[in-house]
Amino acid sequence: MTALAIATPPDLAALATLLAQGPLGFIAGGTDVMVAGRGLPAAGRLVDLSRVPELAFIAATGADIRIGAATTVAALAADPALRARLPALAQAAAQCGSVQIRNRATIGGNIANAAPAADLIPVLVAAAARLWLILPGGARVERALDGLTLPPGALITEVILPGTKLLGRSAFAKLGVRRDLTIARLNLALLTDYQGGRFGAVRLVAGALGPRPRRLPRAEAALAGQVLNPATLRGWLAALTAEVEAAIPGRAALPWKRRAIAGPGLEVVAGVAGLALDAPLFEEVAA
Amino acid sequence: MLISLMVNGKVRRVEAAPEARLSAVLRAGLGLTGLKEGCCEGECGACTVLLDGQAVNSCLVAACQVEGRRIETVEGLDPSGLPQAFVDAGAIQCGFCTPGMVMAAEALLRSDPDPAPDTIRHALAGNICRCTGFVAIVQAVALEAGRRRGRAA
Repeated sequence: MTALAIATPPDLAALATLLAQGPLGFIAGGTDVMVAGRGLPAAGRLVDLSRVPELAFIAATGADIRIGAATTVAALAADPALRARLPALAQAAAQCGSVQIRNRATIGGNIANAAPAADLIPVLVAAAARLWLILPGGARVERALDGLTLPPGALITEVILPGTKLLGRSAFAKLGVRRDLTIARLNLALLTDYQGGRFGAVRLVAGALGPRPRRLPRAEAALAGQVLNPATLRGWLAALTAEVEAAIPGRAALPWKRRAIAGPGLEVVAGVAGLALDAPLFEEVAA
Repeated sequence: MLISLMVNGKVRRVEAAPEARLSAVLRAGLGLTGLKEGCCEGECGACTVLLDGQAVNSCLVAACQVEGRRIETVEGLDPSGLPQAFVDAGAIQCGFCTPGMVMAAEALLRSDPDPAPDTIRHALAGNICRCTGFVAIVQAVALEAGRRRGRAA
């Protein structure tokens, strides 16, 4: 006999009612909770979020981008409107796990699991994401993702990327031990206004550089308002190294990460500038 | 709980704990032992099956999530298709990864009938082989893709 009872609410209203009645366990794609040792609750009620249609949607053409929490990573990677408006999120999704993982893993699960090396979260933080939650008890509240500690038993229902916070260009780059199905040792999400060879506003967030995604203000300042040229890029790389030294002093990874950040650092600049990474400008700076 | 699902075109009913791995349900509950359980972490891909046509790690799908859904395993594939191409290309040594490899390859070929070698490598990145190596496996998928295009022409 099993101690787990499965609840399959048909919609969000029914889900909120269930949450008001007592604690629930959640499963969506299962790619984290089904791994041995992380586990599902041993008893009580379990809600399968992968079967709540209202939780799986991407609305990328309105004022804000809205994404249902049970939207799969594969769907994020494939959505043309999302790719046009926030390429960094589509790029991060496409580099997350394997085909099999992307087909199941969800954006809400990536946030709730809160792995320091999560690929989607740096992009979401850089885009000033806000979350709709249902708290135990059934109240629905909106919270900023950056700095959030998810209340125990809370359910993420929707991710909002405010249109007023989106910048014209964005890119994501990741450093792992291999190209595919690799846990990020370092990742970067860059949002910027870039026009006519000059950077405007810049927001830069790193993952796997501490327990939480980390905004890198020194590096942002090295690009903001600057013309894309070798001097700017050298300043950018120096600032990135300084950011790593400030983020993980004394850590075993410091000696290599302070240098390795140059790779994804140049890659995200090439991405927002629409240039190939083997363009002479980058070759000159990297040499 | 009693779960009813469509496996390789037939409706099957099986008793399983809600949190049981789909891989275990298919192997122990339904006798479909083609798929293998390797890591149970979504790293090795040996348990790959198609869920409503999409490649998934069946070790990470809970039994309660597949009620009424469509599963395809290696037993449901035409043996003269990808399995034969793997034999012809010498892409099998111990065979443990092969059922998962061919299911991931099947999902790829349904969406992309003429994949470049790099596309094949990317699509099979979630499947790990520890003995033959990946060169012959990529060749096997390209071989089957060519055979399908030849038949379609």
